[in-house]
Amino acid sequence: MNIDIVVLSIATLVGLYMAANIGANDLANAMGTSVGSRALTLKQAVLVSIIANVLGAVLAGGHVTSTISKGIIDPSLLADNPNMLMLGMFAALISASLWVHLATYFGLPVSTTHAIVGAVVGFGIISVGGGAVSWGKIITIAASWVISPAVGALIAGTIFFLVEKRIMAARDPYAAAVHYAPALLFVVFLVLILSFIFKGLKNLHLEIGFFQTVLLATPCAALAGLFGRRWVRWQVHLKSELRPNPQGYSPVECFFAQLQILTACYVAFAHGANDVANAIGPLAAIFSVVKTKAVALQVEVPFWMLFVGGIAVGGGLFAFGTRVMETIGKNITEITPLRGFCAEFGAATTILICSRLGLPVSTTHVLVGSVVGVGLMRGMGTLDLRILKNIGFSWIVTLPFTIVLAMVLYKLFTLFLL
Amino acid sequence: MRLLLNSLFYRSPFENLQKHADKVKECAHLFKEAAVCHIGQECKKFDLLTEQVARLESEADGIKRNIRNHLPRGILMPVDKFQFFEYLREQDKVLDEVEDALFWLSFRPKGIPDEVATDFHHLVEAVIPPIEKLSDLVSLATGYFRSRSEAQRTKMKSLIRDIRQYEREADLLERELKFKIFGTIKDALVVYHLIQLVGIVGDIADHAQNASDRMRAMIAK
Repeated sequence: MNIDIVVLSIATLVGLYMAANIGANDLANAMGTSVGSRALTLKQAVLVSIIANVLGAVLAGGHVTSTISKGIIDPSLLADNPNMLMLGMFAALISASLWVHLATYFGLPVSTTHAIVGAVVGFGIISVGGGAVSWGKIITIAASWVISPAVGALIAGTIFFLVEKRIMAARDPYAAAVHYAPALLFVVFLVLILSFIFKGLKNLHLEIGFFQTVLLATPCAALAGLFGRRWVRWQVHLKSELRPNPQGYSPVECFFAQLQILTACYVAFAHGANDVANAIGPLAAIFSVVKTKAVALQVEVPFWMLFVGGIAVGGGLFAFGTRVMETIGKNITEITPLRGFCAEFGAATTILICSRLGLPVSTTHVLVGSVVGVGLMRGMGTLDLRILKNIGFSWIVTLPFTIVLAMVLYKLFTLFLL
Repeated sequence: MRLLLNSLFYRSPFENLQKHADKVKECAHLFKEAAVCHIGQECKKFDLLTEQVARLESEADGIKRNIRNHLPRGILMPVDKFQFFEYLREQDKVLDEVEDALFWLSFRPKGIPDEVATDFHHLVEAVIPPIEKLSDLVSLATGYFRSRSEAQRTKMKSLIRDIRQYEREADLLERELKFKIFGTIKDALVVYHLIQLVGIVGDIADHAQNASDRMRAMIAK
């Protein structure tokens, strides 16, 4: 059998495995808070995340992706040896998948992007030498370990503090919610629309300037704000009709549940747009090498590959995340709709601001920081700060682990296959 | 497989605090039944009720240990952990005093002398409401620390005021009863027994009030 076909088939399987791991690790985190707060039922969460994720991957996913993930190594150095690139990407994909799977098994939220970057660095070091690796990229990753959680905690904590002080702790939370609804909805929609355009649709290269985007987003957000009061009244009225809700949340909390669902949908969409490429990018590179027998700087990602990648991420959530989220939905009362909303909206805002400022951030790292930020504002029932040590450790270990594993795997592949 | 962020969350100790408060409430009812039965007569059910109280006290002790042992450093709570433990200690002392009061009742199987029986009955009745209210207070606190609703906080403050009022009434009854004991009972041994017993029963309400004061500190802004 042709070696290319073997590599291609196995690479496709590994690509899907990586995508499923992304679903189980990243997406389960993003949707888990919504299930935990009962803003969504388990089935709704899985369905919503699969739809949003596939839409994100297909509509806004990278149709053209850099051959070597995130430009970590110079592809021209590999131009003479396309097979080297193919096996390297293969090794990188397996290393990153194994690490993400391991981290998921131990309950550690790690960045899938960092895993794939580390794996590609490992392959780069062993194939073309350390000099070819863009070490600046590694420094930005290291910076993300500190910047992401710190900024996430600050922004989510501030949002929680303000919402709690102005709305939940008011004499009449309902009246306060009605009063602040237009401003709140305006900000939420503004952030989500801006994030949607900047982050979600960035791969479409729409060439819309910053001010044009703001001009476009402001009236849409203002429109949402105009309906804010009516929306709150309608929501609260609806919920108070259904006599005491089983979770015992106040009707005003239910209004935040709606906002949380909105944020969760955005996160799932953004995952589809940005993170599916982590699994599909290397796969597309392998595909391209097999097809053209040459190393291209950029490759076309076929539509079907993005679609299947999106489905695989959703499938990963369904296969590995369902039982987990079900347990959360039943047992954990720590995440209320308000806390979940503040953590997720804080994360979305942080990612938007940091990416505009050019600061390197990871969605997973920011989300962890946001949850802790809400907790530090005494927002969470209890928060186990001891776990942070393990999480931080897993973030730092991501790079060395994937680098070494990719090097070992690449060496083994070249020994047996080349 | 676990949900990754889930590991960051720790089981809220308020669930167990509620269970503890419910045990205390249950004990209070049994104590009342035992004490009323014991007044002025030989009570056949007394030993059985005392045993039940002892069993509940041991269960509540287990819950208390569970709460204390599972709140290590590094767990962040919406309230000051020191205040929380102080609250738990006071709530637990209510139980200890209830058990102690039953022991003191049992030391004199003849019951309470007729001269002070009615007043003692009133005192026992007076210390039950503050204990009952503690359970409601914990239930409200669980909701409050989740929602931070000002309405819930107002309810808690009102409940704490009620407990303080009940304690004041119990204190008054305790003092009057002590006067009466010294005025009417001539047997020094009986006086000693009654003064000790009445003091312990009065302490039940005191600890309930101390607990509620701790809760007030926890919800202070």
